[in-house]
Amino acid sequence: MRPFLLKLGATALTLGTTAVSALYVTAHLKNPSAPLQPTVLASQQGGALNGVTITPGVRQGDIQPVTSTYAS
Amino acid sequence: MPRDLVVEAHRFEALGTSCSLFGVTVSRTQLLQGEFWVRELGTRITRFSDRSELAQLNGAEGGWVDISAEMESLLREALRAYELSAGLVNAAVLPSMLAIGYTRSLAAGTSVAKLEDVRPAPPLTDILVLRPGRARLEPGCGLDLGGIAKGWMADRLAARLGPNALANLGGDLRAIGPGPNGDGWPVGFAGVTVMLRDRGAATSSVRRRRWAGLHHLIDPRTGLPSQSGLEEVSVVAATGCDAEVVAKTALLLGPGLATAYCAAHAQAWWMS
Repeated sequence: MRPFLLKLGATALTLGTTAVSALYVTAHLKNPSAPLQPTVLASQQGGALNGVTITPGVRQGDIQPVTSTYAS
Repeated sequence: MPRDLVVEAHRFEALGTSCSLFGVTVSRTQLLQGEFWVRELGTRITRFSDRSELAQLNGAEGGWVDISAEMESLLREALRAYELSAGLVNAAVLPSMLAIGYTRSLAAGTSVAKLEDVRPAPPLTDILVLRPGRARLEPGCGLDLGGIAKGWMADRLAARLGPNALANLGGDLRAIGPGPNGDGWPVGFAGVTVMLRDRGAATSSVRRRRWAGLHHLIDPRTGLPSQSGLEEVSVVAATGCDAEVVAKTALLLGPGLATAYCAAHAQAWWMS
């Protein structure tokens, strides 16, 4: 009787795990239409101005800069 | 529309390049203290002086050397840069620098290049061991902290100046706070103005520091000056040091991979 119960328990555990896994995977499908990372998106959508690519995280200004990055 | 606040500015030559400091509600004295900090630290981390901390580490022939807190932090930053760049930003290129003739500051002139002595740089993580207050470098190896030091110092200097300041050390810069009018610090970036708030920017180039067909930007994979096909890359990133690392990595990667790398690590970029 005891071996039978052990087998039954193991079978139930296996089937249960399979079923729960299937439910989890179904509920967490990857969305193929999910947006790309903003930086990649911006560079692909032509966020380039004068060859400069600027992502949404950086604002452009139209005032005189106080300093600049340059090669030294 | 917020009224523009008064910006105190200070410009000086140090680290072999032009530096400028800016701050809102920062006194002239604070900016001068910032210059002093740059000069004092610069003398300790330069490879051009036999008495600097870096020269002592480079010349220790495998022995342990006591280092200051600043040097320890800078060396840890060099290790981080090595990881961030997948090994392309490698401070262990000093033997190559010496072999191509960059033995002293360029203002003092270069030496005769011995390209037959050039070797790929060893992995930085294999040759540099750090312990609190101490460092050890494998015999025969040498470090050049170059651009990493400028970015690292710009980050710390901007923070030292106050909550609304900008430090630009030879093009490696860090802007902290809302800037003079609340929109960020206006910074010239490849011909446009970007408003930087709590960000860094840097330019890596092979168009400066050139001599006899050579330049100072070493590709650690070959030990020779980079010939990636890119000559200049400018980047905006989270910090000045990150911007320096990303710009140099992109330049070394070349046009095929640089855009993808910048897209993953930078907030703005330009390359040619």
